[in-house]
Amino acid sequence: MAKIGGWVGKILRVDLSTGKISTENTIEKYKDYLGGTGIGYKVIWDEVPIGTKPFDPANKIIFSVGPLAGTGAPCNGRTAVTTLWPTCWPKPLVASGHMGGHFAAELKYAGYDGIVIEGKADHPVWLSIIDGQVQIRDARHLWGQGIRRTTIEIARQLGPETSVAAIGQAGENLVPMSVVMNSFSHSAGGVGAIMGSKNLKAIGVHGTGSVYIAGNKEEWEKIIKLHLSLLGASNQNVVPNKPQPWAEYYAAGSRWVASEGRRWGAADPAIETGACDPHHLNRIAYRTNNAAFFLGEGAWRYTVRGNGCTACPIRCHTMLKVPSVVSKYGIPEIGQNTCLGLLFGRLFFKPPPEGPKGQAAIEACMVGMALADDFGVWCNYGQMQRDFVKLYYNDTIKSKLDDKEFKSYSWEKYEKDDPSFLFELIPRIARKEGELGTALGLGTGYLLERWGIPEEEWMKDDSLWYWKMGHPKHHSNDDAGQCGVIVNTQYNRDSQCHSHPNFTRNGLPIDVQKRLAAEIWGSPDAVDAVGAFTPMNIYKAKMAKWSVLRKELHDSLSLCNWMGPWVASPLKERGYRGEDSIESLLYSLATGNKKSCQEMDQVAERIFLLHRALTIRDMGTKEMRTRHDTIPEWVFKDSSDKAPFTKGTIRMDKDDMKIAMEMYYEEMGWDKKTGAPTSVTYQRLGLGKVADELNKKGLLP
Amino acid sequence: MEQQKIISLAATNVIRERSEKGQLVQFEEMLAELKRQDLLKSEIADQRSYLRAVLEQAFEENEDLKEISDKDETPHYYSTQSLSEIYARIIILREENPLLLLAQIIRENSAIYPRPVPLDIFRESPFDLTPEEISECLKNMREGKEYQDIAQTTTSIGTIFLYSNRHLEPDYASMLAEWFDVGQANNP
Repeated sequence: MAKIGGWVGKILRVDLSTGKISTENTIEKYKDYLGGTGIGYKVIWDEVPIGTKPFDPANKIIFSVGPLAGTGAPCNGRTAVTTLWPTCWPKPLVASGHMGGHFAAELKYAGYDGIVIEGKADHPVWLSIIDGQVQIRDARHLWGQGIRRTTIEIARQLGPETSVAAIGQAGENLVPMSVVMNSFSHSAGGVGAIMGSKNLKAIGVHGTGSVYIAGNKEEWEKIIKLHLSLLGASNQNVVPNKPQPWAEYYAAGSRWVASEGRRWGAADPAIETGACDPHHLNRIAYRTNNAAFFLGEGAWRYTVRGNGCTACPIRCHTMLKVPSVVSKYGIPEIGQNTCLGLLFGRLFFKPPPEGPKGQAAIEACMVGMALADDFGVWCNYGQMQRDFVKLYYNDTIKSKLDDKEFKSYSWEKYEKDDPSFLFELIPRIARKEGELGTALGLGTGYLLERWGIPEEEWMKDDSLWYWKMGHPKHHSNDDAGQCGVIVNTQYNRDSQCHSHPNFTRNGLPIDVQKRLAAEIWGSPDAVDAVGAFTPMNIYKAKMAKWSVLRKELHDSLSLCNWMGPWVASPLKERGYRGEDSIESLLYSLATGNKKSCQEMDQVAERIFLLHRALTIRDMGTKEMRTRHDTIPEWVFKDSSDKAPFTKGTIRMDKDDMKIAMEMYYEEMGWDKKTGAPTSVTYQRLGLGKVADELNKKGLLP
Repeated sequence: MEQQKIISLAATNVIRERSEKGQLVQFEEMLAELKRQDLLKSEIADQRSYLRAVLEQAFEENEDLKEISDKDETPHYYSTQSLSEIYARIIILREENPLLLLAQIIRENSAIYPRPVPLDIFRESPFDLTPEEISECLKNMREGKEYQDIAQTTTSIGTIFLYSNRHLEPDYASMLAEWFDVGQANNP
């Protein structure tokens, strides 16, 4: 039998209660689930008893990657971290966080496709993984330290190439709003306290192995080149943000911000990005500057370079050097992050008079990163900050804190947008200190419950972006109408799905998007221009299904769903087409197990079906449509009372969304009345035993 | 290789190289460059006619070679391998008619994407218009009959966007401006 490539073949199991370290065969047990979230869901389904709570020793936390991690495939740096989610309200359910960086590749090079952490150590420990040598080591000297010092200490012991995934004080103190973070800035939110509950401070991993590519090497190189040629800037924005000599199209809101005259001003010497013709593959890294995108033009002069994950040329983590913050705030002058990491500090404040993109935003960004990325506090896609702003300005915070605690905060600083206020707030969240610190650290659902605020209030307020179950929207109707709404109903946390916005925000004219949509989902009517939404049709349901399945496929293969999928491209000569089969082409060559695009989608569907089954099992109901796949009221409102499907509103129509959900359920092979998958669908996707178990509990439709 | 082919190849290279730098080539510039390269021999009686014929042939043989005329009907050459039609148009119009350039850009964006255009984009390359030039254009748009479709909207953070009401209703333009200026960055 030909040697299988992609996977390195072993899953590491570490029982922290007993100290037992063992391995199991990845291919034998998990091949049908690929890796990443696929392995995570499978372990939770098979091994975590119903009724287990997130911080119980019986809960497991699975760090898993897929067959493409550590290969030369672009954007393969994601590690999925799957567990019972502590901020999922009112009942914790399965979910996953995703961290970039180099942890995924190092894990593969060390000989493992995943780590299943079980039980609970009787004292703080950290896990050392070096080329198949695994040790549970004493972490008592690291307990109480921030992520930065922990990372440095472990890297000092294991070597500078070690990838260290650590928790900060927030995780140690079982603050649900906490992260695990590798390489100082690559975090997976929501899981820090799960590690803390197991007394696991960190995992340090380094390997000198490699990932075997089973297919023809020339073909492999060809596909890699093809994939690289299809890449846009961050989030697959495929046109630049202003006219460039080579560009037929441009979009002012694009993250492709490079052009002649744009400089990484803090590099020495300063580096000009140039015009970045898409055919110049060695210039891909210059296209994106997420600090400039999120924090404004002023960020260019502080930019050192773009940083990022293994084998990803996009470099969405912008490294900033802001010398003034050293004397002003006593924090490091260097910081790096992307998206919400960059916005973490700024979002606590109302936009300053100079606007949300300026020097104040940059300083708030630096302070926010310095604190959150060391204490290990999570923002839940900015929900913590939106909650905070709302609760302060409607006087709830004042009413919930006793006078002494309220006065212990410098609210005058806060109201003046002074970032030093964050030194008072973030450490207290990480330490569960006082009522405010404790409540904010719980996550929105439990915070609202603690303070007696009905969830409905949050679901009505479109400025909060709150969706359900303690979590916000993540690219919903604002990005893709009904498709976005459907996707946001499907998960037990924010959906984290970028399949649909990375298409609708790609920057191409609507006619080009519609032409591509017709090729991918069967009709140009699958997509609408933003704010010009039309009633539901079957092609939108197909796009929603595709979006969810591609997310799961990426999360299981270890491709980045923040950068992909790649169904559009910056290439005029391809008619701006990308390649819908890129995932199956890469998988087939890496593993030697040839699968078509449709076959890969079927594997992704199996993985997502298992997520659905877990949700049904642990909720103890098959009534998904009414109890899980819910839509907040703000989706059906418009501040100007514009009617749904008129231009200029993202308002959706309730009856239309009922049709939308039914079309989607039908596409998925789920029961339209309950939203629960049918027995036939479980059988079709090879999950007959799962169906049997659900049937015994009366959880099949 | 016969001389005409050599000159054709050299002319093609000049156009492509200039396009890679984001520049157009005028006929007279081409003539001077080929002379500098010592390709147009003095024995060619009518060098201009000769070069026109060579270029005509080169354009027939190379689909990427294009020309765009300015208001004086002077042709400017470029290669679509590295310079787009819209960029060539911007280069021509920014020199001779910034007002028309702004109007065209605003109308095109409103029609094809559709989206309004942030005013600040015109201060940057390749437009490179000064604040005074932009103000003058806006004033002329307000007063000029043929520009009455151009309107503006301001986002919640004070950014001015321009749009054409031939293609975007005011409410729709405002919503899109807010989305592109504020919404997208706050929804990463």
